[in-house]
Amino acid sequence: MDLSVGLTTSSSVEMVKWFAHNADGLGLRGVWIGEDIGRPQEIFTVTSLILLETKRVNVGIGVASPFIRNITTVARAAAALSEISSGRFRLGLGVGGLQDLASMGVQVEKPLESMRRTLQTLRSIWRGETSVTDKELRLENYKPQYGHPVDTPVFMGVRGPKLLSLAAELADGVILSGPREYVKESIELIRERRLAAGLTERGFSFVLWVPTIMLSDERDLELAKKVVAVVVADTPDRLLETAGVSTDEVNTIRAIMRGSGAKEAARNVSDKLVDEFCISGDAERICEIFRSYSSLGINEAVFGPPYGRNPKDAIQQVAKAWGRT
Amino acid sequence: MQLGLNLNINDAIPETMAKSREAERLGLDYIWISDLPSQRYAPVVASAAASATERIRIGFGLISPFLHTPQQLASPLTTLMEAYGERFELCIGPGDRDQLRRVGVDLDRTEGIPTHLLKAKDKIQGSLRDRGFGCKIWLGAQGPKLLEIASSFDGVLLNYSSPRMIEWALRIIRKAKGEMPERVGIFAPSYVYKSFRPEIHRILQYASATVALGASRSVLEQFSFSEMLEPALKKFASGTLESSVLKLIPSMVIEEFSILKCQHDLPTYLDELRRLGIDHVVFAYPQGYSIETIRELAEALSRGMR
Repeated sequence: MDLSVGLTTSSSVEMVKWFAHNADGLGLRGVWIGEDIGRPQEIFTVTSLILLETKRVNVGIGVASPFIRNITTVARAAAALSEISSGRFRLGLGVGGLQDLASMGVQVEKPLESMRRTLQTLRSIWRGETSVTDKELRLENYKPQYGHPVDTPVFMGVRGPKLLSLAAELADGVILSGPREYVKESIELIRERRLAAGLTERGFSFVLWVPTIMLSDERDLELAKKVVAVVVADTPDRLLETAGVSTDEVNTIRAIMRGSGAKEAARNVSDKLVDEFCISGDAERICEIFRSYSSLGINEAVFGPPYGRNPKDAIQQVAKAWGRT
Repeated sequence: MQLGLNLNINDAIPETMAKSREAERLGLDYIWISDLPSQRYAPVVASAAASATERIRIGFGLISPFLHTPQQLASPLTTLMEAYGERFELCIGPGDRDQLRRVGVDLDRTEGIPTHLLKAKDKIQGSLRDRGFGCKIWLGAQGPKLLEIASSFDGVLLNYSSPRMIEWALRIIRKAKGEMPERVGIFAPSYVYKSFRPEIHRILQYASATVALGASRSVLEQFSFSEMLEPALKKFASGTLESSVLKLIPSMVIEEFSILKCQHDLPTYLDELRRLGIDHVVFAYPQGYSIETIRELAEALSRGMR
């Protein structure tokens, strides 16, 4: 099992540069960069900053939405990133938050069908097919000229049985986020679907990325509760039920979130809810919890955000603890 | 006069990095990195070029706001400026009609192209300002409709090289609003050479022919190119520029859209441009064909006064 670090497009460039400068020396497997739609940094450019500065770590986008840009932008950005990566780049795709998409005037009516089409078309483009046509994606006799075939592993960051089944069938890995029970069920579902499709588990990666935070004192716990309030408010009820989480408790948090914001809502987040939705503790404890997911089938765990009140220190401590254990 | 080199995004990225480094070492002011839907994504290529250099200015462009939203154009710029300093600029324009049509953007059915470009510019500037940044936004222009809005931009890059066409364009810009943008430049396929190489000249012919065949109807009519280009345009309808099409284009048309000079003749040409009011020249592909062709350009420039 490997340890990676998570960044997002909300991370400052200063943080990204610090990480890029230190990543190879921290003994990590890699970094995943999540796209917070509408936030300051641009996902492909941030990814390029880290790839250009590092030599060893894997660098993945985890995840970006193909629906807020022309599919050819995803294809050629990934091609360029793959070219500078020496085989270290991984592309994660997800539908994107429905509210975020709506804020950009994007409606995805059939996410399953759209994701399938997107993945299949990306692979056609990357294989170097001389002409790609797909009316739904508005491609007509598209002629990619990237100069090299692209063999980038594609991960899917998705929820729900249908999309997870699609990931099992078409992707090289999946990025899972949610309570432990949900993660366990998702892995079982994917294994089942791959088996049914005659695919082996070999070469398919399960990545766990849930909010993680190193706790030093009470103020870190407050930060953890705030993050959990935001996460549970956006979590589908079906997933809450899978995890055995009371929807009444979550509905209260949602109502306060809408009225007064995350800080107030955090007051109603119980310790149990924190344990379900967030991995927290000191560095050793966090590593211990990560390793416990290995028995479920997770190959790679992602630390952060929110890390703790001092993110750089937290990343260094968790990386060191991982090396020791 | 500011001098720039356009790098070809068909080049492998390590090659682009080496050429950027060389352009900086040789004292060029700018590298320009175009964005086409069929080729490598320009912000990633620009990021690689920036990581290989320290001070040369880097222009994205031409890049189309009909393919990317203003936010998608502004955010790579701010990320790069935070990472590598405020040495980035942007040139927007409608883009290559044929390539855009293949990815679902039909400019022939798009109304109000100039208005869309002006709005995009304002939104990009707004996004940059919100983040505490500013950068020059250029307009890539050729026909009268775009020339008329050029003075609303920080700079304009004209897509031809002949003095008579440049003079015509400048008259339209001045007449439209009574003022000129801060910078006025040209962006033309170029081959400035020390020892002439036919294979590079051939690439220049293709590059210039592509620009000529994609020129707006009003430009072609204004300069009486329409009739001359008609057979080539008919054959080019498939979108593939083959040698049989190239043969149909009179060499004088190609010359109007490109810079083909031996080192010795370049200073005189630049003097002529200066006299017209041009203060920015981008030597577009194939000048950036190799490190050697970049050096041949730099040698020629060192002969003339900037």
